[in-house]
Parts: sequence; C-alpha cells; structure tokens
Amino acid sequence: MSARDRILERVRAGLKRPTPVSVARPDRSLAPMARPVSHLLNDFIARAESLQSTVAQVANLNAVPAAVAEYLQAQGLPRKSVIWPSLKALDWFSSGLTAEARPPVSEDRLGITETFCGIAETGTLLLHSGVDHFSTTSLLPETHIAILRVDRLVERMEQAFALMQSELDQLPRATNFISGPSRTADIEQTIVIGAHGPRRVHIILVG
Amino acid sequence: MKIRSEQFKGNVRKQLADEALQSNLSRFGGGFADRRRDALVKVDDFEALRDRGASIRAEVLENLDYWLLKFEAEAQRRGTQVHWAETGAEANQILLNIARNAGVQRVVKSKSMVSEESGLNEVLTEAGMTVTETDLGEYILQLANEPPSHIIAPAIHKSRDEVSALFEKHHGTPRTDDIPSLCEEARGQLRPHFLAADMGVSGGNFLIAETGSVTIVTNEGNGRMVTTLPRVHVAMTGIEKVLPTLEDLSAILRLLPRSATGQDITNYVSILTGVRDEGAMDGPQENHVILVDNGRSRLLGGDLHDALRCIRCGACMNHCPVYQNIGGHAYGWVYPGPIGAILTPAFLGLEKALDLPQASTLCAACEVVCPVRIPLPDLMRVLREKELTQGLRPWHERLSIRLWRWLALHPGWYAFAARWGTRLLRGMAGSDRLLHTLPGLDGWTEGRDMPAPQGETFRDQWRKKQAAERKIIPIRLDPSPSEKKAGLKK
Amino acid sequence: MRIGLFVTCLVDAMRPSIGFASVSLLEAAGCEVTIPDTQTCCGQPGFNSGDRPSGIQLGLAFLRDFEGFDAIVAPSGSCIGMIHDYPTLFKDDLALQARLNVLTAKCYELTDFLVNHAPKPLSPGRLSMTVSYHDSCTGLRQLEIKSQPRFLLQQTQGVELREMKDAEICCGFGGSFSIKLGDIATQMADKKCAHALETGCDAIVGGDLGCLLNIEGRLRRRGDPHTQVKHVAELLAESLVNPQLEKS
Ligand code: SF4
Repeated sequence: MSARDRILERVRAGLKRPTPVSVARPDRSLAPMARPVSHLLNDFIARAESLQSTVAQVANLNAVPAAVAEYLQAQGLPRKSVIWPSLKALDWFSSGLTAEARPPVSEDRLGITETFCGIAETGTLLLHSGVDHFSTTSLLPETHIAILRVDRLVERMEQAFALMQSELDQLPRATNFISGPSRTADIEQTIVIGAHGPRRVHIILVG
Repeated sequence: MKIRSEQFKGNVRKQLADEALQSNLSRFGGGFADRRRDALVKVDDFEALRDRGASIRAEVLENLDYWLLKFEAEAQRRGTQVHWAETGAEANQILLNIARNAGVQRVVKSKSMVSEESGLNEVLTEAGMTVTETDLGEYILQLANEPPSHIIAPAIHKSRDEVSALFEKHHGTPRTDDIPSLCEEARGQLRPHFLAADMGVSGGNFLIAETGSVTIVTNEGNGRMVTTLPRVHVAMTGIEKVLPTLEDLSAILRLLPRSATGQDITNYVSILTGVRDEGAMDGPQENHVILVDNGRSRLLGGDLHDALRCIRCGACMNHCPVYQNIGGHAYGWVYPGPIGAILTPAFLGLEKALDLPQASTLCAACEVVCPVRIPLPDLMRVLREKELTQGLRPWHERLSIRLWRWLALHPGWYAFAARWGTRLLRGMAGSDRLLHTLPGLDGWTEGRDMPAPQGETFRDQWRKKQAAERKIIPIRLDPSPSEKKAGLKK
Repeated sequence: MRIGLFVTCLVDAMRPSIGFASVSLLEAAGCEVTIPDTQTCCGQPGFNSGDRPSGIQLGLAFLRDFEGFDAIVAPSGSCIGMIHDYPTLFKDDLALQARLNVLTAKCYELTDFLVNHAPKPLSPGRLSMTVSYHDSCTGLRQLEIKSQPRFLLQQTQGVELREMKDAEICCGFGGSFSIKLGDIATQMADKKCAHALETGCDAIVGGDLGCLLNIEGRLRRRGDPHTQVKHVAELLAESLVNPQLEKS
C-alpha cells in the first residue's frame, strides 16, 4: 500500500464510509448585485486608494501614455518602462517614454501591464499569466502601472472567476489578484509599503 | 521541528521572566485585534460570512477523500505532480528527491507551516543545499535560528533593535532603529536569492479541487517570487486545506485576511495551476504538490474533527490572553495559542503536550473570533477529558475531582465540609483577613493572596435567619439515591 | 413570580453577602425568593477539568432542585453559562434534554434578570463612589451580559462608572487554571488590576466571585489594601439602604 492509499484509507475509516462516487458541486455562486457602473467605479477607486494604490482616469487607450508620463513626472521617476507586448501599439514615444515589450529583469524600474478585470469589492486587480502576459512585469519593477478598462470592472471575486471561465479556455498557470503595493508588518507590527514586490501601484482607468 | 511542548510549564516560566519578550508582547500583541475590529466595521454581516465559512469547511471535511482525489486528478491533468506523505519525514524525503532529480542547489521558501512541522530546512541544509526563507519574519528567524512564535507574524516577539542587531551581525550593516530601512535592507538582501534560486518551496493556503490549483496568499510578494522565478516549484501543505471550487475560495478569502490582519484582502492572492505554458517566459517548468497528513486524517470523524476546519488565520492567538502573556514559543511546537493547544496534542499525541489543553481559562475570546467557528474551548475540554479518563493527570488531581464531585452530589456532607472548610480558612487568615499561603495551592498563593471566607456559609446563615423568621425550618439532609431518582421521574 | 436563587458554591463558602444582596435585590424587584437547601454547585469545576460526569450528575441535581420555579437566578454569569450547557450533555436522552431545555431557558444571570425579566424594574438607591466594571468571560460571551450591570450602576445615584482599558479581557481566573498555571493567571490578574487602577476608581466591580477573588488576591498582594473589589449585587443592595435624593 502506498502512502496515498493509507491516507485515503484512514480518511474513509474516520468518515465511516467508502469514497463517494460523486459529490454534487456545491453551488455557492453569488448573484451580482446589479449595480450601476458608476457605483462600481466609485467603490473600486475608494478601495484601491485605501490600499495605497493611486488611481487616474483617462477617456481612451490613446490617452494612456500621456497619463503615464504625467504620473512619472509627478513621482520624479525615469521615463523608461517594460510593457506587455499587447501595449506595443500605443504611441509612447510622443509622450517622451521608452517602452520595451519584453519580460523585465530585476533592474527594470517600471512595468506597465493590462488588467484582466478589476474587482470593486476590494479595489483589486486581476492579472493572469500567458505567453504575452509576463507575470514578472507586475512583480519585479518597483513601480507597476496597470491599465484597466472601466467596462472590465466587476462587483466581486466570484464574478471575476465567472468572467475568466467564459473568456479563457482554462485557468491560466498563474492568476494573480493584486491589491496595492507589496507590504509587510513583520517588524513591530508596523506596516511598511514596499516589501518584495512593487512599492507603487498606479491604476489608469480607461473609459 | 523540535518538540518542546512537554516542557510547557518551564517554557512559561522562562517567557514570563523574559523582560524583552514581555515588553515586545505588550507593545505589539494587541495590534491585530484592533485592526480586525476596525475591518469588521466596514462589513455588512460578518457573522453571516462566518456561518458560510464554517459550513464550507465542514462540508469539505465530510467528503475530504473525494475532494482530494478530484484535486489530484485535475492537478495532474494540468501537469502538476501530486505526492502524498504520511509524515513530515516522508514529506521531506519526497521534496529532497525532487530537488536531487532536478539538480537543485539553491532553494527559496515562502512561509509554510507544514514545512515547520517537518523540519524541512535542516534536511535540505544537511543535503548540501542552501535554503533561504523569504517571508521577512521567517527570514529574521532564520538568521536568529529560532522557530516562529506566531502563524502569520512569525517574528512578532522580536523588536526592531533585535532585528537590527541580527542584520548587523549577518549583513555587516550599521544599526538602525528605522523600520522601513530594515525592510529595505531585507529586500535588497533577498532579491538576489529569488533570482538565483533553482527551486521555490511554498506552503499552500488552499487547494482548489475543481481546478487542481494551489492558492497562496502573501502581502510581501515573496509568495509570487517563489512560485514564479525558480524553475521548480513545490508546495507542501496539509491534506485538509482543500476547497471544492473557486467560489468557495472567494467566500473564504472574505474571512481570512480580515480575521488575520484586519485587511479587507491580502495584497497578493495567487492561484497557481500547472506548469509554464509553452512559449511563456515565466513560471516553473516543474510543479509539485506534497499533500501531508502528519496526524490529520486520524482526527476525521472523531471528537476533534472540527479543528480541521482551521484556515490558519491566527485570530485565536491574537485574541488569546494566555498567548498574549506567554508568547508563541512557550507552546513548544509549530502552532501556538488556542488552535495550537488543540493541534499539538492532536498531531503529536496527548502525552507530548499534557499542559497545553489546560493552558486556557476557557474565556472563549478565541471562539467568538474564529472565522470558521471552531468551538475551541469545547475542544480543549474534550482533550482535558481524555487526559483525565486516560489517567494522564496526576493522581491527586484525579482524586480531588472525584472527592469534590461526590461531595457536591451529597448536599448534607457538602454543607458539612463547607462549614468546617470555611472555619478552617478563617482561622488561618491573619488580621488582614487574607491567606498568604495555602498548603497545596501555592499555584495561587505564589502571586496572589486569597481573601478569607467572610463568615459562616451562606446556607448556614440563611437557615438561621429563616428559622428566626419562622419561615422554612426543616433542614433537608442529603436525599438517598433512590429519592433522587424518584425526584427525576415525572 | 417565584424565583429559585442559585447561590453558587463560591458565594456560599466565600462571600455570603453576595447571596443576601441577591435576595434583597430580587425582592425589591417584586420576586418571591426561595433558596433550595440541597443546592451545591453547578458542576463547572469538575466539568471544565475534564470530568464529564460532574456536569451530567450535577445537571440532574440542579434539575431536581430548581425545576419547579418560574425563574432561576444566580449572581454569576459563569454558573448560568454552565447551566445553559446542560442540555448538550444529554444528547442520548431526548426527554430529559427537553426538560432541561425548558429549565435552562428560565435560568438568568442576576443583572440580566433584574434589567430584562423582573416583574418590576429595580430602582437602585444612592451611594457615593467611583467604580470600574470588569466583564467576566462567560457572562459576556455566552450570555451577552455587558450593558445590564452598567445600566444598573448608572441608575444608582452617586455612582460614577469609569471604563477600564481591556475590560473584556479575561482576568486569569479560569477555575483550576488559576492554580495549575498560577504564574500566567497572576500576570493576567496583574494587568487587570493595573487597568482598573488607572481609572482611579474606589471599587473594581464584577459579576462573578471567581474573578473578584482573583483580582482582589492580586491587588492585595500588590500591596493595595484600599481599593475595594465588589460584586455588583453587593453595591446595588447597599445602595437600596439610601433612597435617591430629589434632584434640585
Ligand atoms: S482556529 Fe480559527 S481563529 Fe484560530 S487560526 Fe484556525 S481559523 Fe483562525
């Protein structure tokens, strides 16, 4: 008997029955609250800001590079970025930015990504991995700028999963929920922003 | 991990006498409880969320074998290799084999309490690998060569000065009392380790049966690093950590961070499924999950079954006055506080942790905060019952309980004993009407006086008063057992 | 209303004045009080030490002593909490369990009874003192005794209630815990004393004698002979002697 068999045997013995052939999928889906987009937007912004993300809003995708430039200017950050390949088409150059569509190395200081969807309940970004969606872009650089279309806001985490299920063939290798810059409180319970991941998360809402 | 739970009382004495620790505990101990309270104010009906959490976890346990097999099948379908380990030692061996087969030299770890159970770090180090803990708290403790004292804030017992001293010793950097600089220093030290590691070892906060995924929850981002950068990822987690669906995960995630740190959500929640996609630039090429039993399956269906609902949020210890006074190390193993007082004897054997279930006033501060409504005081009482019925309590304790019970069931004798007992105590008290020592009860009188009984017992006084007022005169002595039975029949 | 007063074993032996105070208060609230003479203890000391038979057998004795009353009152949240747990000990005897359910539904902690269930409201009298109230655990968490004693104290003319820090945190009594792990209990009691004294109160007040003995024991050992440690029933009963003055 393998360890697996022995463990399962003990589980069955404890529960006093053989392993069931099938168990109904527990249905604990929550219906969306069907609130107007403006409420979602307000909630999302308020909660994201309470998690120390910063938020800007622009009318359309073409306005993103200028918004990025403005943010970098205000923060006094260099105008050099690694971006997801899907953002290559934007005119970064006119806003005085260099944007390289490649996975980051540890020295890169700014990473710009798109966002699969945003979750209003907690002000959270959902990013998933993929051939063109480098996970490290939102992880290694000290500043992460996330571009999020307003029509991609959902109420709760359940709806984000439902959206993934309807749009993707299968769950990606990595599904990352990001809620603000990385932080730690491991020394004296004092919250310090900027642990191993980014120190700044800036969200540019589009739409 | 080395087991020190048998020396609980000695550990307690040491911790109570440790001034630095006491100062750290009183300065940082209350923070989580305050933050949790503040976070709950913003939630509509947290009690309903707790009900939901409790029922989700309870349902999982009812069909644990089914969900584990489902998880295994789905994980394998996505290219994850699933291993089963009966003990911590077995889990270490499996991990060692994976590492050797993959030619691993450098290992980075994010927090895994199961790997603390198994003592993984020593095993890997002995096998010639370098292991680096990357959770800041765990990293500090690795430098200090100490076990964690809390399940979500492992180094809560250390002050900034102690951390700074450790950093000075190990990094050669000047002392500082600035906490952000210390964090920055750790970031700088650890980044190269992430980049150079061949293998990442993580725990698994939850396993999702339906998708074969491992979920990891961290604030620092180290969990993401460990599961993204190295070419091999191994998650080591307990068999009870499975959840059926992603919706269940959503429900549980509304509870975990609020209960733990008072956050509405943890910074990073990563759901990891399978291996690097073809053509992708990041993610591990090899992904393993080790499902560790180590005493868990034995609890199923028994009277400690409910303890397996635990989602390791730490709220019970954050609210436990005993934990807050003695700190986590006193408990002597991986899990401190109320849940530790249950899991340690449950996993290791009652005889290894006799004092732990006794280390509670049953004040229930833990029970009212537990997000999955584990009846922690009841479970401690269950363990006390086992200690008593298995003859694991000292003979004088067993005898005095029996004697006391017999007296309490015989009111006449009880009144007699109370009358003479209180007279004796009054005689022993000084003019201040206090007892400064009591034979056999030095546990009390070492640190406290005992106020002497006020006078005659209440019932003696009442009887006299009643007699004087001619209300009720007859003094009923102990009814015979047959009378008692008769009294109970309708 | 016929009330059975469960005096509790600790009050019986250590501080009968709490029992007499309870009688006065209940009578002042329009109750007819009976004290069954065969009562001893609710069983908690044994039960919490792991002796299940203590709970079961004393549960039966309690049923024998108190089943006939309209309501049963005890000056202790801890004992009433234990009593409310009796039905769970009789899962195999549904008839008995049902009887216990009926019984325990009419068992009340004293201040809760006075505020929420007494035939007529208690009007406390007058005292002159500053007090700080310690919430005992079982009363607080199992029975939700929090506002009731405070309400009564605030009704008492001349009593100033000052909240202490961490009033809801356990004082360290915990029955046999306070002896088995006396050093932890002592430190917990010490913090309780410190928080209470910070308020500058004349008396630390509570609703459970176990906690009061623990707190007073530590307080005296700390070398404070003055600060009083009182059961809320004692204070309220003392106040009854002095009728309230008309406010001018
Ligand atoms: S027992 Fe409950 S409160 Fe304690 S860690 Fe587990 S889930 Fe959290």
